[in-house]
Amino acid sequence: MATFLPQFQSIKSSFAHIVLSVEDVSDLWPTIKKGFEERLPFKRASLNNKTRNPVLVDELPAEFILTTDARLRSRFPQEQSLFWFREPYATIVLVTCEDLDEFKNILKPRLKLIVQNDDREWFIVYVSKAPAHNDQATKMAKKVFAKLEVDFSSKKRERCCKLDIHGPDPNFWDDLEGKIMECIRNTLDRRILFYEEEIRKLSEQRFMPVWNFCNFFILKGNYSGDKPCDCFWDTSESLAFMFEVAHLHEDALREYDELELCYLETGKQRDFGGMEKGDDQATLLDSGKKALAQIVQDDSFREFEFRQYLFSCQAKLLFKLKRPFEVASRGYSFIISFSGALALHESMLPFCMREVWVITACLALIGATASNYEDGLAAPDVEKEFYRVQGELHTLCHTKFMRLGHLVGYGSDIERSPVNRNDMLGNVDKRKVFCQENLSQSVDHHKEFYIFLHSAITLVFPCSASLSMLPWPKPAVWPPLPPDASSEVLAKEKMILQESPRLKHFGIQRKPLPLEPSVLLREANRRRASLSAGNMSDLFDGRPSCPAWQTELLNNTRGCILLLLISCVWDMHAYNCIKMENFLDSSQTSVSDSSGTPSAVQRVSNVSMSRTLSSPGNFDGSIDRPMRLAEIFVAAEHALRNTISDAELWKSLSSVEEFEKKYLDLSKGAANNYHRSWWKRHGVVLDGEIAAVHHKHENYDLAANLYEKVCALYAGEGWENLLAEVLPNLAECQKILSDQAGYLSSCVKLLSLDKGLFLPKERQAFQSEVVRLAHSEMEHPVPLDVSSLITFSSNQGPPLELCDGDPGTLTVALWSGFPDDITLESLSVMLTATNSNDEGAKAIKSSEAIVLMPGRNNITVSLPPQKPGSYVLGALTGQIGQLRFRSHSFSKGGPADTDDFMSFEKPTRPVLKVARPRSLVDLAAAVSSALLMNETQWVGIIVKPINYSLKGAVLHIDTGPGLSIAEKHEIEIEKHEFGANNTDHSDNPPDNHSPVSADVKQLSLEDGKINLPDWTSNITSVLWIPLKAISHGLAEGTPAGTVSQRQSIVDGLRTIALRLDFGVSHNQTFEKTVAVHFTDPFYVTTRVADKCSDGTLLLQVILQSQVKASLTVSDAWLDLQDGFAHTGKGDGRPVSKFFPLIVSSKSRAGILFSICVVDTPAKDGEELDPISVLNIRYTISGDRNLGAHSPVTKELTGPENETDPLTFRSALVLQRPVLDPCFAVGFLPLPSNGLRVGQLVTMKWRVERLKDSGKDVDSDDVDEVLYEVNVNSENWMVAGRKRGYTSLSTKQGSIIVISILCLPLVAGYVRPPQLGLPDVDKANISCNPPGPHLVCVLPPAFSSSYCVPAA
Amino acid sequence: MIVCVAVVGHQNNPLYIQSFTKGDDSLLRISILNVEGCSYHSLKRHHIVHCSLDVVDERVNNPKKSGLIINETFLGLLNPTENYKVYGYLTNTKVKFILVTTDLEVRDVDARVFFGRFHTAYVDAVSNPFHIPGKKITSRKFAERVSTIVKSFGLSSGG
Repeated sequence: MATFLPQFQSIKSSFAHIVLSVEDVSDLWPTIKKGFEERLPFKRASLNNKTRNPVLVDELPAEFILTTDARLRSRFPQEQSLFWFREPYATIVLVTCEDLDEFKNILKPRLKLIVQNDDREWFIVYVSKAPAHNDQATKMAKKVFAKLEVDFSSKKRERCCKLDIHGPDPNFWDDLEGKIMECIRNTLDRRILFYEEEIRKLSEQRFMPVWNFCNFFILKGNYSGDKPCDCFWDTSESLAFMFEVAHLHEDALREYDELELCYLETGKQRDFGGMEKGDDQATLLDSGKKALAQIVQDDSFREFEFRQYLFSCQAKLLFKLKRPFEVASRGYSFIISFSGALALHESMLPFCMREVWVITACLALIGATASNYEDGLAAPDVEKEFYRVQGELHTLCHTKFMRLGHLVGYGSDIERSPVNRNDMLGNVDKRKVFCQENLSQSVDHHKEFYIFLHSAITLVFPCSASLSMLPWPKPAVWPPLPPDASSEVLAKEKMILQESPRLKHFGIQRKPLPLEPSVLLREANRRRASLSAGNMSDLFDGRPSCPAWQTELLNNTRGCILLLLISCVWDMHAYNCIKMENFLDSSQTSVSDSSGTPSAVQRVSNVSMSRTLSSPGNFDGSIDRPMRLAEIFVAAEHALRNTISDAELWKSLSSVEEFEKKYLDLSKGAANNYHRSWWKRHGVVLDGEIAAVHHKHENYDLAANLYEKVCALYAGEGWENLLAEVLPNLAECQKILSDQAGYLSSCVKLLSLDKGLFLPKERQAFQSEVVRLAHSEMEHPVPLDVSSLITFSSNQGPPLELCDGDPGTLTVALWSGFPDDITLESLSVMLTATNSNDEGAKAIKSSEAIVLMPGRNNITVSLPPQKPGSYVLGALTGQIGQLRFRSHSFSKGGPADTDDFMSFEKPTRPVLKVARPRSLVDLAAAVSSALLMNETQWVGIIVKPINYSLKGAVLHIDTGPGLSIAEKHEIEIEKHEFGANNTDHSDNPPDNHSPVSADVKQLSLEDGKINLPDWTSNITSVLWIPLKAISHGLAEGTPAGTVSQRQSIVDGLRTIALRLDFGVSHNQTFEKTVAVHFTDPFYVTTRVADKCSDGTLLLQVILQSQVKASLTVSDAWLDLQDGFAHTGKGDGRPVSKFFPLIVSSKSRAGILFSICVVDTPAKDGEELDPISVLNIRYTISGDRNLGAHSPVTKELTGPENETDPLTFRSALVLQRPVLDPCFAVGFLPLPSNGLRVGQLVTMKWRVERLKDSGKDVDSDDVDEVLYEVNVNSENWMVAGRKRGYTSLSTKQGSIIVISILCLPLVAGYVRPPQLGLPDVDKANISCNPPGPHLVCVLPPAFSSSYCVPAA
Repeated sequence: MIVCVAVVGHQNNPLYIQSFTKGDDSLLRISILNVEGCSYHSLKRHHIVHCSLDVVDERVNNPKKSGLIINETFLGLLNPTENYKVYGYLTNTKVKFILVTTDLEVRDVDARVFFGRFHTAYVDAVSNPFHIPGKKITSRKFAERVSTIVKSFGLSSGG
């Protein structure tokens, strides 16, 4: 079957439609050909697919071919079944006949002959030539056609149709198309059945030795046919191709899928292929590139070509199905899997065939899919996926391209990044790099030893490209250096020498990522034929003198082997000795850890030193000189030139510039596509690659833009290790672009990264940059956000609590992320009130420059008075040089965690609480009882701080009128003891209150101010101020029994205005006016105790103590007014001799005086003394805590018993008895039912003339007597005249009654109205019976009408 | 061989990345000499883990396409490349676990078992009252436990 392959492929390439054969019986075709071909291609063809489901094909191309055509006639029957897809799908028999006889005799037998082959689908088109106007001819034609139908059509199937040349029936063409479709459908169904049967048969034999994939393939891939078939292998592809030709693409695709599966399972050839010229260019989208016959071998196909061919067929169908995204995703998978297959055969393929193929495949796929794809073609998620795959393809291509670049020595031109870096097993490879680099530099003149070490290192550190994204090519033999390439080698060497690791900004030095040149050097030399033979164990084994201990070491720990190597190097070269010494120093520790005894290590080291390997003779002569790196580059370049047939690709590798251009294109393509997919991170990372190229070419603007994107991604998600790679580059670009703000921000970010990511000196460089810029003149100074670098928190413990209006001192803990001390010119802490939103944050500024040390710093700022509320730390602002900075980052009490990038946690704990205004202090009088009037008394002021310190408080004292401070006395202050009032008793002697006691301090008054001592700042204290209340009036005594006319309390009240200035900065003021009550010691009342018959009156003077103190009366005398005289000796002293008389607090005492009434002759020009004065000498014994006490002056003079007695004087008015009464006024009794508010009552007085009037009276003997009713209008309402004249007979004994209607207004004991006779001297009026002093007035009667009885 | 495991926070921030490479620990210390390159050794795995988050995001955002079952934490194979495979696991709190392995044949059941254990270890680690949620996991105990889990990878199911 394989012999048909060329034919098959040629058919396939030239055949794209189905064939309809025309049996032109009556030479009609030239006439009607045009009409027929106008119908092509068929629209809306309905076909059945493989599963017999109808499929509507929009456009079905076809071709009419005469049966006499050579293309149909020259086929061998054998070919027919194989290439059945190209056989006609329908046979159209064209006939015409105008005579029945002719039809019967000639045409009918001929037609029978033609249609007798049942295999073919056929139908007859009867062409009528009869003109429309010729009825006869028309009739005849109808007859013939009717006869034709009878003979050839059946009930099941209509096989005839009629075409009228001169007037075609409009339905004819539809009829014709219908018949053609029916034929095609039937033929297709039949052929599908046939192929299926064939395939089934072949499938059954699949695992038998005689089975032939070629046959199977052609059969499966080719069936229906209008167009050349796509098939290679026999049956299988025929079917697929038939579907394709019939535009049943889905079915064709399915067939190809099955075919691929089948091939991968059973059809693979041992010979992989790919060795021919041009094979490096992928043909996965170009099925016709290579003839099938070329790739067939032993009845099957070579994998290399055939898999690509199959994929190209699938891709073609998918493009036809408008599914380019599927081509892309299938293509990517295909490339990955095919790349794997190439890797398996890499040793046989040309050098770097795999890489080149992948690059060309990716590029082809990218180009084809992108050109076939239109935006909006697919659903959004499919579209995203499409772009992702595009990105993946770009990346894969980019990766492989990089690999080629590295091989020819362009790798150093591309900045190495984690994206393009080879090996992720950093530590292991770094060790290798270390060893190799040092060794290769120093010992290459001992080449055999170098080789030995090289192998040893390889053994110790097994080549662990386990995670390598870009494994080095693994040809069987590394390409050798061409003989005439010495100039190229020189050029490359020059290039290598010129290249120096680009110094990163800030002096960041990094070793090149462990990719090349060292690893390539090793890999290439390893793969050279002579070097690939052995590894270290082989070397050891090959040495007859290999001691057992070495083998043991070899088998035991690699660490020991390392020591062995080190010792060898030691032996070799002094320079290396020194270098390795350091190496050993650090490794010894680690090895000794594992072995447990350092001496053991030393021993091993010593032993190995004694057994030098400086001349391992086995190696001499058997090993070529290792290639140098430049040689490897040149060799690879030459080999690649042989491999790469694509001129474009080779051009990209021909120079560094072209290489970079291509590299950039691929990176951009990948990044752009990733950005349009879900894989944003991939895109951004590739942006970083592009930025690196721009950076290198000094396109700093572009580079900075891209770097910013990358940094934003890494910083946003907290990938610091990755950020640390890119950020210095961004900073450099920003610096060059004079983007000071950006540069500063980058420096700050660099500083805030994890400390382990940079060396201390690098971090210092960052800081010095910040400081340098901060102190320079910035063009556009911008606030710098240092949230990640300087964090702050309140100190541990409760928040600072302040009272309203108080300033304070706030301590804030700052964590500095700077590596060195840094000076802040100013620093402000923002306080934000938590309880009110309207108020913005307030800045609290620190007054002086602050030097921040690395780590924690405690900063103290003074706090002006704040409004009441709770405050949290808002932000930190400050200045470094000219640079304003700002930090929002609140630290929870530890150093800033830089990975806390996403949470600017608002500090919830308040740092300051300012209390609402409240009483901070209270001032009150120490005693409530009265003090002595007119004497200097201690007035106690209790100063009570209420949870507030009174440190430095000043009390201003301003005494009111009638009160003065005895300034010559000190002011005392003492601790106030609660309950002292209860414990002390007024009768206690005041000894325990000596003026200078242990806890009493003396203060002096200056300008009315007293500075309170500090010890009183937090305790309640009493301030004793010597004050003297002045009252110029004389106390008045009153007769006993009369309503008290006591001195009003108000008269004794004095006020002291106090103002206390206190608080941290005397910002608080408390003002209070304290009332102090002063009084006389006694209230004096008198009464006549007895009237003696001799006219002597016993006058009882009652002394009522008014103070809470014990009064001792030592003497008392009475200076009588005129009209009275003392009886007896007349010295005015009382008769009794029981002085001293002690009057306790609130008690009474009485003194009797014996007086008599005397007539006092009126002295000319002198007024009679109307007042008697009672003089009392007394001493007082009281406690100042309770009230009245000894006057201050007295206390100062000495002990109590030596004090001078005080003198109290009280005026007394003595009334002479009524000796000559003319009128008697008697108060008539009130009604017995009592008085009630609101109830009228009649007050009656009886006025009786006791004596005849001495006046000359009128004949009617009537005298007018003036009367007056004195009444308190608040208590009584009087109806009638309160004052008036009444008539009274002048005769003795005449009586009148004066009545007045009164209305009591208030309830209680009230003074009733009094009747007076103003015209009559009081001495002539006797009251008999006297009126009551008080009457009882009841409350008004309850009104029951509105009362509801209680339930 | 598992070469790297990682815990990534719900905001895609790395919480824990640990690599497991063949080689003697004592030998690894030699790399201290190469101070300048110290930070580089982790770069590649950071890059791989970071980029695999794209796939996690894609899976999460397209549950239908990726065939993700609701409430299924195991995300399966995220990123097969030529040389290594990345598996993912997503907790209900959107914390991601990433596993990078060089094993070409990894059975899903092994990966599931691994992630199950890893998840338990993570839950225990973050339940530590001294651990600040969202911060890197620095617990040595956790690291030891992860090492144990990594060592037993693939053994549980008899693989």
